[in-house]
Formats: sequence, C-alpha cells, structure tokens
Amino acid sequence: MNLYEFEGKNLFAKHGIATPKGVVVWRGDDFKIKYEELGVKEVVVKAQVLSGKRGKNNGIKFCGEANEVAAACEELFANNFHGQYVEAVLIEEKLNITEEHYLSITYDTNAKQPVLIYSASGGMDIEDVAEDKITKKLLDVRNGSIEDRLFANNLWQCFLQEDARVVEINPLVKDKNGQWWAADAKIALDEDAFYRHKEWENLAPRTMLGRLPTEREAAVKKIDEGEGYYRGTAGKYIEMDGDIAVLFSGGGASIANMDALIKTGLRPANYTEYSGNPPREKVYQLAKIVLSKPGLKGLWIAGGVANFTNIAETFNGITDALDEIKPAFPIVVRRAGPHEEDGMRLMQECAQRNNLNIKLFGKETSMSATAQILAEMV
Amino acid sequence: MSILIDKNTQVLVQGITGKEGTKATKAMLDYHTNVVCGVTPNKGGQEVEGKPVFNSIKEAKEKFSGVNVSAIYVPPFAAKAAILEAIENNIPLINIIVERIPIADTAYCLAAAKEKNIKIIGPSSLGLIAPGVGRIGVVGGPLVEEIFIPGPIGIISRSGGMTNELSWQIRQAGLGQSTAIHVGGDLLMGMTYADILRLFEKDDQTKGVVIFGEHGGSFEFEIVDLIKNKGYTKPLAIYVGGKFTNVFPEGINIGHAGAIVGRGQSAAEKESALSAVGVKIAERYEDLANLAKLF
Repeated sequence: MNLYEFEGKNLFAKHGIATPKGVVVWRGDDFKIKYEELGVKEVVVKAQVLSGKRGKNNGIKFCGEANEVAAACEELFANNFHGQYVEAVLIEEKLNITEEHYLSITYDTNAKQPVLIYSASGGMDIEDVAEDKITKKLLDVRNGSIEDRLFANNLWQCFLQEDARVVEINPLVKDKNGQWWAADAKIALDEDAFYRHKEWENLAPRTMLGRLPTEREAAVKKIDEGEGYYRGTAGKYIEMDGDIAVLFSGGGASIANMDALIKTGLRPANYTEYSGNPPREKVYQLAKIVLSKPGLKGLWIAGGVANFTNIAETFNGITDALDEIKPAFPIVVRRAGPHEEDGMRLMQECAQRNNLNIKLFGKETSMSATAQILAEMV
Repeated sequence: MSILIDKNTQVLVQGITGKEGTKATKAMLDYHTNVVCGVTPNKGGQEVEGKPVFNSIKEAKEKFSGVNVSAIYVPPFAAKAAILEAIENNIPLINIIVERIPIADTAYCLAAAKEKNIKIIGPSSLGLIAPGVGRIGVVGGPLVEEIFIPGPIGIISRSGGMTNELSWQIRQAGLGQSTAIHVGGDLLMGMTYADILRLFEKDDQTKGVVIFGEHGGSFEFEIVDLIKNKGYTKPLAIYVGGKFTNVFPEGINIGHAGAIVGRGQSAAEKESALSAVGVKIAERYEDLANLAKLF
C-alpha cells in the first residue's frame, strides 16, 4: 500500500528525519484559518496524490498570503491530476533550497536484499539520473543500524520498523543554513505485514488507480479480512471500463487470461482472481459483486488445471450467485482439477434451471481458446 | 535424472499436524515420496499418516539424520522462526509453501540461508515434482497421473496453477516432464529462474526448458546474462504474462505479490531482451508446448 506524502512525512518525523513545518487540509476545511494557524508566510501548497508527476502537472503551488492559499487549495481539490484523486492538500513552509539530493531504500530483488540508493542529483525520477551519478549500497536486513549519514540510518529504521517495501526522500534538500530536510516522501508498505501494524487500520482506503476505490472494490476487499486471511483468497477486484465480467482462478492464469481476452478484442469489466482453494461462501460473495456491475455483455470463468482447489466447492459459490442474478448474457467456463466432474455438473444444472446461455470446457481446450469462443458468442 | 529431488530424498514436514501440512504429507506419500517425519512444536509424540511428529527439528534429526528436505506449512506469522530453525539444523533444501510472509522476514531468511549455501524454493511455492520420482508439496494434486509423465522438458513457473496447466499442455503435445518447479510469485524468491536453469543444464534427462513468467521483478534479465555467459546452452522458451498491465500506473500490484508494474520490468521489455539472446517467445502460454516440440 502506498502512502500519501503527508503520511510518509509523519513516519519520517517519527524516525528523526526533519520535515518542513506544515498542515494538512481536507475538503470542507477553512483553508485561510489553517494557513494562519501554521504561522509561516511563504508556503508550498501540494496536492496529495498516490502517483503521478505533481510538479509537471500543476499539482504544486507557491503562495504568500491567505487568499492565495485558499484559492490554490480550492483549485487543487477541484482538479484531478492525470486522473489522480486529490485526497488532501499539504500546506508547508517554503524552504530556501540550495541543493537537491536523492535518498531511498528498497529491495534489490536480484540481490535478494535491501539497497540504499543515493544521488547528489535529486529532484527528478531516479530512473532519469545517469548511472555514474548514483551510488548503491546493499544492506543486510539483519543489521539493526547502518552508517549515519544524511538521515540514512533514520531511513533504515523507518524501512525496517514500519515494514516498508520502498522509502524514498526525493528531493532531500539542503537549505541556505546548511540544514537538511525531507522535502517529499514516498513510502510503500508491505501489506503482508499488516498483522504486526494495528495502526494501519487507521489509513483511509485507497487504490493506486488514482481514484477512490469503487463500492465494488471496497466490498471485495472485505471478503478476505479476518483470522483465516491467508487460507484461500477471493479479495482481488479492480474495476475496469469494459463490459466482459471475469472470474479467474490463480494469479498466473489471471494475467495470461487478461492478455488473451484483450487480444480477442473484448474489453474486461474487471480484473478478478481467486486462489488457494477458497471456501464456497468467499467465492459466492466475490461472484455476486463481479456480476453486479451494470451493462455487462458476457462472463468468462476461467482457470487452469487446479492442483488442489476443489472445483465443485468453488463452483458452488459461483452457481449460488448465478441462481440469484440469472444473467441473460453469454457465459463461457473453462476449468479442470479435483472434483471437476461434480463442478461441471453443478454448472450444467444451474444453467438448465435458469435458462443460461453457457458453454463449458475442460482441460482439452486451452484457456485462451475459450476467450475466442466467448468473443464469438457476444 | 531429475533435479532437486531423487530416490535419496527424505522429507520432513514443518507444520505437519495442520490441515495443509497433513494434506501435503498424504499427497507426497501417495506419489512415492519418502516423507520420514514431521515437526509441530508441543505436538511431539503424535503421528500423521503413520509418520512420527517431533517438537523440534533437532529432536527429529536425532532419529532421522538423513532428512535432506524440509517442506514448510505454517501460518505466515510463524514462518520466519520455522525457516530459521530449518537453516540452523542445516537442512540443505527448504521448500517454503507459506504464502503472504512479510518481505522483511523473507529477506532475513534468505540472507541466513545464503551464508550456509542452503537452497530455498519459495516462498509461496506449491512445491516441485519429478514425474515417476516424487514430489515435494501438492503439485499435480489428485490428478497427478493424468498430468505428469517422465520426459525431456523442464518446467519453471511463477504460478502454481500454471505449473500444472503448463505441464498438462506439454503432456497433451505428446511430451513429458523432467522436473516441474513452482518458484513462487513473491517479490523476493530463493531459487530464481537462473539458479534452476543451471541445474537443468547439468541434467541429462532435460533437453529443453519452458518458463511461465510474469510482469514485475527483473529475474528474467538474469536469464539473459546466464545465456550470454554460456551457463545455460539448451533450448528455452518463455511466456511472460501481464501485457495488459501497461494501462495501469507504476507501483500497482496485479496478480502475485511480486507482479508490480514498474519501469523496465514490463512483459514486453522482458520478451525483447530474452529474444535477443535466442530464447523463443510464446504469444499464448499454450504455445510453449508447440515450441517445446521443436526442441
């Protein structure tokens, strides 16, 4: 999960990294009062978005008095930055910057350990900085502390203690008094560590898609919550703008199938995947939400030859949803694995009692081939 | 010959008394794999599928000193301690089946394993199978005899479901598998594609390898280097899924935990780098079977 700049800066401050004096304002706040309470004249007013290039897209404004600040806040809240939803606005003391550097820690997946990345050329994407201007140092995750230079050890503490996947200060700035500040903050948390971070429950729901989560996305997320969260998952749903609903089994099959679906010219209404032998109830809830999107023209239920997922159990969840919704659009199913005969029989019976336009395939037909069959039916 | 598993393999199951551990123990025994014992703290003295349960690996090794594989089936919050216990007890091959382990815990264990030259497969791995020899974990499930048959094709996959599906496509094309390995879909993994290709290179049974890859991460680029350095010289075909993710912003996760959309890591970029060193690229995953026929 990615954090907004102001959330990242709160964590930086907790770990001793200096951040400019600032205040967060929300929709409906009195921006002038908030600015006056801050007690700083020259400020930077920054849209809080999860990704995208704010600087290039007018998401950052410099102001020197209350009316100007209020107008800037109004404008930032009214706009989307390349489709990025503005959650909040950060009003912050303007620094007298003399140098802009770059400092981050993330995982080097090839080295299989964290890496500290530093450059004296900060303020732009690190991918755009020449290799010879970047220094990288691999870190051992078993070391509780590292050399303390330019907030490096503070950032290491933040990375370890907050279970982050990425912590980035860009730019790391030096002001005219020689003091160093984190002028921006980018943090991605490792969601699998949620059980040791109760405080994450207070973070507002979000998606990286640059908009608020849709009702359906929020509802699906709840399916996997609770004690057995790691036992069979059914909580993945991204709403897209097409009209073909999909219910895929398995992370790998799901991405191969999305590619295959798009190749046929069909447009997915969602990206959805369940895996790890989830119980009937979880699959039912997921299927019901997937089918609730208005304007659907087809449904593709597809998965590989399962290793251990019980096809009858998971298909029971899907037929429970089909019995309620009785879709009139074409449905194509491709699945195999344990209890496949029972699963296909359940699907067949469900089709008969609800008069569904459905075609069923087992492992003799590839998943991709059944996408083409759906394309011909729609 | 197979890789990673053979007739001398002796498996210990950590978390053997849990639902998944018990199920996997049965699946391994059903496929002629020598599971010798299991470990669950405070449950020593019990039996699962006729195999003794110990409180610790240390106790287990006093009785079964030949244990050379541990398959780990514990909840994610208990994984780090379980993996470190296996490393401390010098088990040379550890297959981590556990899903959703925090990345920092995985990094910690991988660092500890590296110092002792211990091989780790996973996390989030379903296991591996050498047809006719045995399996670690539940790859193939109850339909294992329908899907797997000994043959010349090595299989590596980031996805458990696709390990099986791809093995089926290979079988349907009239070929068989030497060993099929699910390396897991996490951000960090123990043995990577390149590590496993080095083993397939030395394996006489394996004539060529097919890989199911995904967008995100940069493990495919290790293959490019390996081939350039002649560390792998047999035929290789790959499918890289996730081309559709180019419509999503950087940093978003689509699919497995390691499948994060990022610059320089897209499916298309990986394919062009691999193609340049002679790796055959499959347009659809099932095309891997057709490419394998030409090996």
